[in-house]
Amino acid sequence: MDWTLIIENSLKGLIGVNAVYFAVAAIGMNVQYGYTGLLNFGQAGFMACGAYGLGMTAHYFDIPMWWGIPLGVLFSVLLGLLMGIPTLRLRADYLAIVTIAAAEIIRLIVRSVKFKTYFGGSDGINNFSEPFREIGTDLGIQQSAEYGFWPFTFTGRELWTLIIGWLVVALFGFLVYQLMKSPWGRVLKAIREDEDAVRSLGKNVYSYKMQSLILGGVIGTFSGMIFALDRGSVQPDNYSRDVTFYVLTALVLGGVAKVTGSIIGPMLFWGLFTFIDNFMRQIAEDPIKVGNFTILQSTQVGQLNYMLIGLALILLMVFRPQGLVGNRKEMAFDGR
Amino acid sequence: MAVLLGGLLSGFLGLAMFQSPAKAAEYTLRVQVKEQSRDANGKTDNQPVSGVSVTVTDADGNEIGVGETDEEGVALIPVPDRGDYTVTLDESTLPDGQTLDAKSPAVQTVTKDSFVTTTKIINFFTGESQSESQTFVERLSQRILDGIRLGLVLAMCAVGLSLIFGTTGLTNFAHGEVVTFGGLATFVFNITGLSFLGFLSFLPGVTEQGTFHILWAAPIGVVFGGLFGWALNAGIFSKLRHRGIGLVTQMVLTVGLSILLRNFFLSRFGGRTRPYREFTLQRAWEIGPVSITPRDAVVSILSLMILVSVALALRYTRLGKATRAVSDNPDLASATGIDSERVIRLVWILGGALAAIGGVFRGLDEQASFDMGSRLLFLMFAGITLGGLGSAFGALVGGFVVGIMVEVASLVVPTELKATPALVVLILVLLFRPQGILGKAQRVG
Repeated sequence: MDWTLIIENSLKGLIGVNAVYFAVAAIGMNVQYGYTGLLNFGQAGFMACGAYGLGMTAHYFDIPMWWGIPLGVLFSVLLGLLMGIPTLRLRADYLAIVTIAAAEIIRLIVRSVKFKTYFGGSDGINNFSEPFREIGTDLGIQQSAEYGFWPFTFTGRELWTLIIGWLVVALFGFLVYQLMKSPWGRVLKAIREDEDAVRSLGKNVYSYKMQSLILGGVIGTFSGMIFALDRGSVQPDNYSRDVTFYVLTALVLGGVAKVTGSIIGPMLFWGLFTFIDNFMRQIAEDPIKVGNFTILQSTQVGQLNYMLIGLALILLMVFRPQGLVGNRKEMAFDGR
Repeated sequence: MAVLLGGLLSGFLGLAMFQSPAKAAEYTLRVQVKEQSRDANGKTDNQPVSGVSVTVTDADGNEIGVGETDEEGVALIPVPDRGDYTVTLDESTLPDGQTLDAKSPAVQTVTKDSFVTTTKIINFFTGESQSESQTFVERLSQRILDGIRLGLVLAMCAVGLSLIFGTTGLTNFAHGEVVTFGGLATFVFNITGLSFLGFLSFLPGVTEQGTFHILWAAPIGVVFGGLFGWALNAGIFSKLRHRGIGLVTQMVLTVGLSILLRNFFLSRFGGRTRPYREFTLQRAWEIGPVSITPRDAVVSILSLMILVSVALALRYTRLGKATRAVSDNPDLASATGIDSERVIRLVWILGGALAAIGGVFRGLDEQASFDMGSRLLFLMFAGITLGGLGSAFGALVGGFVVGIMVEVASLVVPTELKATPALVVLILVLLFRPQGILGKAQRVG
């Protein structure tokens, strides 16, 4: 058992690229779920909007990559309207159903052979992130050189994504923090607590919910962009509905209706996930056998990890639905 | 004209190519040209087409080789190495009266990665493909029949989902996993076998390894499905209701449950789809324009009977009436002396068992897999929303309609996108009639 390696990987997992893109997605979901009480189970769809916005610039439109940013935002605003218009006047669960369905359909469309000219089919779109890498190189970050100190050693390639990624996290974190302190944010929280009371005060609840859904979705779009830029590729299966659920788990782990919660949640999520994953893989490498029965096989580690995520989400919802830093009173809304 | 010109041009280039020295080639493109046809039994019986010229060019458009198909409809064209090639069939050299099938273009590309061995096979088809030879009415009736089969399964799975929603207000995102549970429990009894049950081998259809004939395994799986529903309620959801945990929190919890169960199924069952042992290969009956295997026919009739009896029971029995009362207004129902906890327990058991039946039938139809239920979840939601959330009859009708719609839609949209109309329905229903076709008009927001 190589404890140094496990600890090194786990600490890197805390601040790695996965934590970054989860944090951005979770900040977006927090606007919807934490502050407004909207159940958006289609955050992966918004993330796909951003990733495909970037990818399509190279694959279909043949324009500079940076146009992908407004394009992705445009896609996600349209998606938000599509999800929001039919559902936001209705009870909370209708939104959940439509978002889960819409995100799944988006995945089917982008991976279909029929629309391969636009979205690249199941292979996705590759090699479009050069302009992003070039800026890093211009600033003097060598792509393949090692930077940092133990345990946080990253290649220049990773480092550049991390710098930009954490800047985006900080930017959106600050934005959401300020917005929620503003009168606008207080209306959102009031809608979460009692929609009818807000309506009776003459506020247009539908419009506020729509703004919240779209704001959260657009933030989620940037998460998809960071992930796509880091990989230099978009693959449709990276935007399955499970991604939404893992982001949700990470958010609830950290704390709902708190900006800090939506940032430390994904960090903890990936730190713990990497730790457990590495730990179990090391056990599976040298299997413990009881008679003929192998306790853990290396092929089972992946599924066991995800089972633990599911279990963690269940336990959190039963015992601490507000998460680590959240306030329980803020998570007592009912939705009925 | 353009085709003719292209043919002449490629023919000319082909002649020019013949004069260059042949290179030693290790890789070969095997071009096969076939005419699609069927024999008297409807089996594929493709005929080779000879004397057709094909031209191979590389990625830069340079000629690599030409060939003409022999008596077996095959032309072998050597290529220098694995790479990206374009194979062009000269349509003017096809025998008179034959044209390429619309699905088989005259120009096909070969990528470097598609060489698995040193020989890469490229097929061209002439004539009409089997499905093209059916008339629109035939295809439509086959689709409607398939849709009815899917709709019956959907309706069965969705009743539980809708009743649980009606009685407790909970949208259960783990309901797809309840369906899978039924299908896989049956699989365990049918294929895996439980060796400690080997002593039952005196019964017909039970082996000493403890595997059961599907006619045993299916009812056992359904019983386990009911028990599973009961356990979910008793172990988790009744406790949460007593603790007064909010519905949104419970809903997120069902998401966690779904992740947990699905990955558990994946780790035990693996990612492949696998069939049950019996009734796997059957010759389809041809009834007028449609064909259906005896298995699917029996399954459909059984589903219909089950659904009708569920509907009748809800309509006329005391418990059924109590269920609908709780579903309508839990507080009022309690006030009239109905034990709503008992009704909710019943609904979970019934919902679990019906979902399990749906899972078994789906497994017979499309084989068992770890995500057989979760792939249906979104169609179930579309069905119960269309029928009216919380209404049991609505779920029956809605599931049925969505099933037919999805199958019929695959006539116009590609098969891989055939679920899309369900989303369109979902959105349209919510826009124009959010209470669903059978729900009663009330404020739902």
